Parts: sequence; structure tokens; C-alpha cells
Amino acid sequence: MTDILRMLALCLLLGPMLAQAAALDDLLQQYAAEAQRPFSAEAGKRMWTQTHPSPKGGPDRSCSLCHGEDLSRVGKHARTGKKIDPLAPSVNPERLTDAKHMRKWLKRNCKWVLGRECTAQEKGDFLSYIRSQ
Amino acid sequence: MTDATHRPARNKIVVWDLPTRVFHWLLVSCFVLAWLTSEDNRFLHVHVFAGYLMLGLLVFRLAWGFAGPRYARFGDFVHGWDNVRDYLRSLLQGRPQPFVGHNPAGGWAIIGMLLMGFVVTLSGIVVLGMEEGHGPLRGWMSPASAGVFRELHETGAGLFLALVGLHLLGVVVGALAHRENLVLAMITGRKWVEDIDTGVRHHSLLGAALLGLASMAAADYFAGYWLHGEEQAYQPFEGRPLPQSDTWNTECGDCHLAYHPTLLPARSWNKLLEQQHDHFGEDLDLDPDTLAELRAFANRYAAESGIDEPAYKINRSIPRDQTPLRITDTPYWRHKHEDIDAAVWRNPKVAGKSDCAACHLDAEQGTFEDSDMRLP
Repeated sequence: MTDILRMLALCLLLGPMLAQAAALDDLLQQYAAEAQRPFSAEAGKRMWTQTHPSPKGGPDRSCSLCHGEDLSRVGKHARTGKKIDPLAPSVNPERLTDAKHMRKWLKRNCKWVLGRECTAQEKGDFLSYIRSQ
Repeated sequence: MTDATHRPARNKIVVWDLPTRVFHWLLVSCFVLAWLTSEDNRFLHVHVFAGYLMLGLLVFRLAWGFAGPRYARFGDFVHGWDNVRDYLRSLLQGRPQPFVGHNPAGGWAIIGMLLMGFVVTLSGIVVLGMEEGHGPLRGWMSPASAGVFRELHETGAGLFLALVGLHLLGVVVGALAHRENLVLAMITGRKWVEDIDTGVRHHSLLGAALLGLASMAAADYFAGYWLHGEEQAYQPFEGRPLPQSDTWNTECGDCHLAYHPTLLPARSWNKLLEQQHDHFGEDLDLDPDTLAELRAFANRYAAESGIDEPAYKINRSIPRDQTPLRITDTPYWRHKHEDIDAAVWRNPKVAGKSDCAACHLDAEQGTFEDSDMRLP
């Protein structure tokens, strides 16, 4: 009887955690279907600090402009100054757990930084980089 | 009138009992405090405290005017017109009639000040309830009907000030004409009199109790400054919680302060949401469900709802044919921020005019209480 209860408790605890990890894996799988190469955290890291001229004459844009180069630290919105919670799942376990949220911000922020939507390859590389932090 | 040869014995007697003196000086403190804090919204809570204490003092004085000792009683210093005229005439002739307590002219100044005190404090409580949503009358009537009470509050305060001026003039003239130190008498309670009068009792216990009660009220009211935690500055006033929406707070609050819908009229929110693909240069890319949810929340609690002071006043300030897309473009916002020094906006702790939370401690809640402001 106690064994069954213990198992049940374990399932209740692990269930949500697995579901969250699954959200990221599912998304990576979807992107992988359209990607040419396996995803690389290294490639994501390189793109992270790459700058792109602002169409409006502001400072050059990059992911790190708002999120910083150290993903475990708090970032700052370039225009509003609002603080942005760390992206690194190692310090902020809520990150990379919600597929809708990930899709939304990959789309919006790619458009803001690069002036276009990212390719599946690029998105997968970014997610792999963030996951490794 | 007496002459040198028949001067009766001069006695030093207690004229002003301790409760009357404590009342007088506490009332002076409240009056000064209320005037000093009447313009700057940041000190509204101090202004309100001064008002509450003043009302308490006035109620005490009203009772003391019937139950107190001789010179504190209305019966002693409220005279008919004839007496006032005779007194003023004797004053003009340079031989003022002697009175141990208040003279007939001064007595009416006292009555006038007490009356104005009641007018100002009671109308203040009404304005506090209507405009700020605080005090015993909070939520009693909408901010829209506060206008006449605000007029009453301000006019009453002006008349009160004029009466204080007359009172002080009377003290100076009386002191010169009667050759007595009236200010000292209100501190010690004692006066030299040419009268066979034994004076009144000090009623020290009641006076001390009055002072103690006022001190306890102050300690209780301002205790938050000592008791609050370190993490955030103390908010003297906490506004009634505004309706919140998780979707609104997430969608808006991810990039900037989630400005509450009360801060712009519905037509502004609708236009902002229509232009979501170019939201101040950014594409919000909201899906239809989220957009509908945001639209419903914004329309329900937009400035027109008038559910709190910012909502009512912002909406009132915008001409009907205008649709401002920034809160900082509304006439009310501009008016309230026009006196802020340019250096404040350049302060690195202030990210810009959109950074409400840099000064408003309750910006996140959207209540924007007067007293909850600190310049960084």
C-alpha cells in the first residue's frame, strides 16, 4: 500500500516536470523537421551577440542588447528599461517550459533584431544555446 | 475705571485651564501642518492626519465650551452685538474695557474659527471619500460630485486663515492696549488681573490625557514608517485594489509596466489594439483570442469607468475629439507632471516618462495614490 502511495507521489511530482521538458523537446523536434543540420548551442551562442543595424537609427540590435551576454543575469528592455528575468533555465526554471510563449517570443524578437523571422535552424540553435545555460 | 490711589490688589490667577491650552496649541499645529501640506500631493496623508486631529480637537472644544471651567465656556465670551460695539468703541478711545477671558470681539473670532474648522474638516472628509476613495465616506459618491465640497473646503480654509489673521491682530492690539502678554498667558495659563477672582482649576489630568491621546493617534497613524520592511518604501495609502487580468499583465507587462486600463479612454485602447502590428515601432503579433480578451478588459475598465481618481480625472481632461495613444499625452498627466524638475527625468533611475514605477510606489497596482510618490 505505501509503495503504491509512494509511486503515486513520485508520478505527481515528476509528471509536470516531464511535461515541461516535453514542451521544449516537441518544439525542437518540429523545428528539426525543417532544419538542414543538427542544432548547435555553439551556433546559437555566436548569433546571440551578432549585431544588426537598427532600421530606426537607434543602437545596433542583438539578442544580448536586452537579455545580456550572461543569460543567468537579469536583462533590461532596450526601450522601456523594464527588467527581464534571466533566460537561463539553471537559474530560472520557468524558462523553456511553455511552447506558446517560446514561439511567440522567438517570432517577435527575431523580427525586432534581424528584421525578419528566424529560420527553423536558427530557432533550434537559439533554444539549444539557452537550454545549455 | 480705576485710578492709582484705588487700584485693587493685582492677582495672578489661572485663566486658561490646561485642556484649553493643549487644545489651542494642538489646533495651531494642525492648522499650520494642513496649510503646509495642502499643495503637494505627496503629503496628502499628513494633511489628512492634521484634519482628523483637528476635527477631534474641535469636538472636544465644543464639549469643553459647555462643560469646562468659567473662561473656557461659550457663556463667558459669547456676547451680544451691543457689548461688542461698546468694547470696540472703548478700544478706539484707548481705554479698553477689561475682560479676564476673551473680550467680546475676540469671542466672535473664536466662534468663527471653530465654525470654519468644522466646515473645513467635514468637507475635507467628503472630498477625501469622493476623490481619493479613502476615509469613512469612501465609495459614498462618485468623484464627479466632489466639486462643490472641494470649493467649500478651499473657501472655508481661506476664511479660517482670514479669521486667524484677525485673531492674531486682536492679540497684538489687545496686548498693547491692555499691557499684557497674551501669548505667554496661553502657555502658562496665568494672567495678572485687577479683580477679586480666584481663577480656575488647571484640570491637569484631562489636559495631559488630551495631549497623550493626540500623541498616540499620531504614533498609530505614522507607525508604518517605522514598521514597514526594507524591500519597498512605505505606502501610507493603499488604494482599493483595481480589477486585474492575467492576460493583460502578461501581454503588456512583459515589455513595460502593464498600465492599467483606467489610465486611457476606451477609444485609445481600441486604437492601440487595432495598431498592434506597429505598437510604437514593434509588432505585438497578438492572436485573435488574446486580442479579444485584451479588448474586453480594456473596454470594461477604461478611464470612462471612473472607478478611481486617475480614471475620472484623466477621462475628464481629454477633449472628446482626441484619441491620445500615450498616457503622457493626456492633459491631466501633463498638468500633474509639469512642475517636475528636468533633472528628475534625467536621473538614471528614471527610464523615461513611461517609467511610472520610478516614482509611484503603487504603479503596478495602478492606483496612483497621492501619498505613494517618492522622487528618486
